[in-house]
Amino acid sequence: MLKIYPIIAVIGLFLSIVAVLRKSPFFNFAGLLIFIYGLLKSAEYIMPALPAQVILMYMAMCVFSLFIYFSIQEETFKAFLEPMRAVLADDNKKFLRLIIVFAALPLFAGYLTYVKVKPTYNPPVSARIVHPEPPSQMDFKGKTMNVLGLENPLRKDTANFAKYVEEGKKIYYQNCFFCHGDDLDGKGHMADAFNPVPLPFRGTDTIAQLPESFVFWRVSKGWRGLPAGSGPWNSAMPSFEDFLTEEEVWKVIMFIYESTGNKPRSW
Amino acid sequence: MSDVSVKKGLAKGLIKLTVLLGIGFIFLLLLGKILPAPTEDGYRLFPVIGSRVWVWIIAQLHLNFAAFVLGVPIFAVSMEYLSWRRKDDRLDRIAYDFTKLFTLAYTITASIGTVLLISLPLLYPKFIDHMMRILGPTWWLYIAFMYVEVIVCYYYYYSWHKMKDKKGAHVAIGGLLNIMGTIMLLITSAWVGYMTTPGGVSETGELVNRWQAVKTFMWIPLSLHRLVANVVFGAGIAAAYAAYRFIASETDEDRAYYDWMGYTSAMISIGFSLLLPGVGYLLGVEIYSFNEQMGIQLMGGFFAWLWVMQAILIGAILMFVNYYLWISLNKMPGGERYFKYVKFLFIIMLLGYAVWLTPHSVALSLDEARKMGTYHPVLGNLGVMAAKNTAVVITYLATFLSFAIFKMSNKESVVSWVKLGNALRGLIVVGSSVIMLAIGVYSYMVTSSVRVKVLSPIQFGIFFLAIIALFILDAKMFKGAKIIGEPRWGKMPERSQYALIGITVTFTWLMGMMGYMRSGGRQYWHVYGIMKDTSVDAFLPTHGYAAVITSIVTVIFYALMGFLFYGIMKLEKKGGQGGAKA
Repeated sequence: MLKIYPIIAVIGLFLSIVAVLRKSPFFNFAGLLIFIYGLLKSAEYIMPALPAQVILMYMAMCVFSLFIYFSIQEETFKAFLEPMRAVLADDNKKFLRLIIVFAALPLFAGYLTYVKVKPTYNPPVSARIVHPEPPSQMDFKGKTMNVLGLENPLRKDTANFAKYVEEGKKIYYQNCFFCHGDDLDGKGHMADAFNPVPLPFRGTDTIAQLPESFVFWRVSKGWRGLPAGSGPWNSAMPSFEDFLTEEEVWKVIMFIYESTGNKPRSW
Repeated sequence: MSDVSVKKGLAKGLIKLTVLLGIGFIFLLLLGKILPAPTEDGYRLFPVIGSRVWVWIIAQLHLNFAAFVLGVPIFAVSMEYLSWRRKDDRLDRIAYDFTKLFTLAYTITASIGTVLLISLPLLYPKFIDHMMRILGPTWWLYIAFMYVEVIVCYYYYYSWHKMKDKKGAHVAIGGLLNIMGTIMLLITSAWVGYMTTPGGVSETGELVNRWQAVKTFMWIPLSLHRLVANVVFGAGIAAAYAAYRFIASETDEDRAYYDWMGYTSAMISIGFSLLLPGVGYLLGVEIYSFNEQMGIQLMGGFFAWLWVMQAILIGAILMFVNYYLWISLNKMPGGERYFKYVKFLFIIMLLGYAVWLTPHSVALSLDEARKMGTYHPVLGNLGVMAAKNTAVVITYLATFLSFAIFKMSNKESVVSWVKLGNALRGLIVVGSSVIMLAIGVYSYMVTSSVRVKVLSPIQFGIFFLAIIALFILDAKMFKGAKIIGEPRWGKMPERSQYALIGITVTFTWLMGMMGYMRSGGRQYWHVYGIMKDTSVDAFLPTHGYAAVITSIVTVIFYALMGFLFYGIMKLEKKGGQGGAKA
């Protein structure tokens, strides 16, 4: 299959180089933007594609920043504006002006309208709240617990630490493994069936950022306990208080921290 | 405000304040009788836009002006002090111009404050009643200090020319003005601190200890954050004023003066902004210490997206600042020698900006989510604190280098150890950057408490050490340096001035959005955990809605500021420099 984006990047780079040689900052600017866009889109050949939202943010930043860059020196800025001035004012560019006004702009407006009204069957893009705020208190099988400041009681029993982790492992494989995966990377057998996909425990950006009390609340309450702002539809996680005891929840938490090399947030 | 004696000036200030307060109380009494009684749970509804939006707009406008009138005196007095010690008339003029600005802005601040004074008790009587029960004495203290501040402020302004031979005493009055301003800031921060992180009351909201209700978790960090931000904001407004005057100038002399004023104000603004991440951190730590739930909500929950917005805006501010400094090289004889470094600084700024604005949790389509998982394998790593902090310190260092280059661009060092000095400078820049990057990478491997409490302060500490070392080194290297030529003040393209205006407008908008976040942290509570908001507005508005309100506030604020600037120009035309009598 033809890889289009690297080609776009090369065209942009070529345009930029030619523009530098011909001392045309405007086309250098355009070439650099095309090059960066091609490069960002080409990322999908070596890793999961960059999300459209991030590409949009990067491109907006580049347009703003490169425009600033090309307007630092007076001569460069004049040269940068020259093609625009020429199109708007030069007598010999009348035909080009007609094409822009009566063809290019209407076509562009038409394209934008088409994109806007075209029916789409994809669910809307949403910004997910990955770390919803926990309540101050929760109810665990009829027992009221303060989530804030809640500590894992099993950690005090250091002599049996390995035993608890081992027991947590069994609980994990009986209950969590199907979605969160054998490698605790969120890529379990059923992971692809869900939107959003289950969280990975590896890396520094999920459980490593959270105190154990938060994880206890999420495991115990699942989707039902999510605050209104997060929406219960943003998780398929069951409420494990229906299946596990309090001690079992703590054990499985110890296992996921221990096996991923993460430490619970203590601040 | 044509030429007025000190006595008349003072009387004017006191009458204005008393009249405004009087109007406030009379309206409060009259409307309290005329309007229908509040609902059973203690609310009245403002027509059309609702009570929350009305109070939001008025409170934010009042805060913007208050930030201005509290922030500007800090550096107006600093400038006056420097002018007195260095016998520099130009510094004295800039200090006087700043003083003129904030003295005029007092009236607008007090007028908007009066509207707030009328609105809050009428629309939220039960809430204000609670606040008065808990913190009532601080309110009367606030009014007392307001009078003292107005007296000191008007005396400071109107005695400017009269006390030109007693500069020391005049600077001391300015110092007193700032002490008054800081006390007022402490009082108002105590109110907000109590609402967000309350203390000193029972679970049912009964007063237990008033001092504890004042001395809440948020009180001092919020006050510090506001104090620094006020200077940044005040200096930014002064820079915008200078830019406006530059664009409107008709003579080269005026252009030169306002160019210099804009540069000085912008550098003070950005210089103080270096402290903001540190004091912001302190505020964050205190919020987490008070209530982890609130901390998570502000940092990783509903408000997480605002940090991305903040990164976009601060990145834009830093780009504007660097742009202004780079474009300023054009006016420096010898500046052209340094353009070759600009492209490297630009690349560093762009990369730092990109890391800073990369979100941790991205808005994804279903298809993207399925391919990528929760976090992108590369972007996910850029979205966390370890990467953000590193990007922040590196871009700040690059900004400092742009400033250093501008400062040295019209000089040639004559010391015998120039080569060694240049090598040292390179070593400090590269060495500190490598260490800050290494700490950033290492931050991924440690627990969050080590990252937050140990590594981040070290990273910021290295940054500050590096700029202090560079500052001292440059001062030594360029002592008695050969001057290639004096800066051609005023020889700046107009677009550079729009960068200054851009910095301030962006900062104002950012202040508004961060205010929405700070206030939203309370969720459906007037006083967190103590007094519930049971009004029709007891829900968090969306970020988009908040952005619209903040934009409206920003537009109104700048319309009023434009009116203020125009008024000053008109007065100057009418009566020379205008203002205080010599």
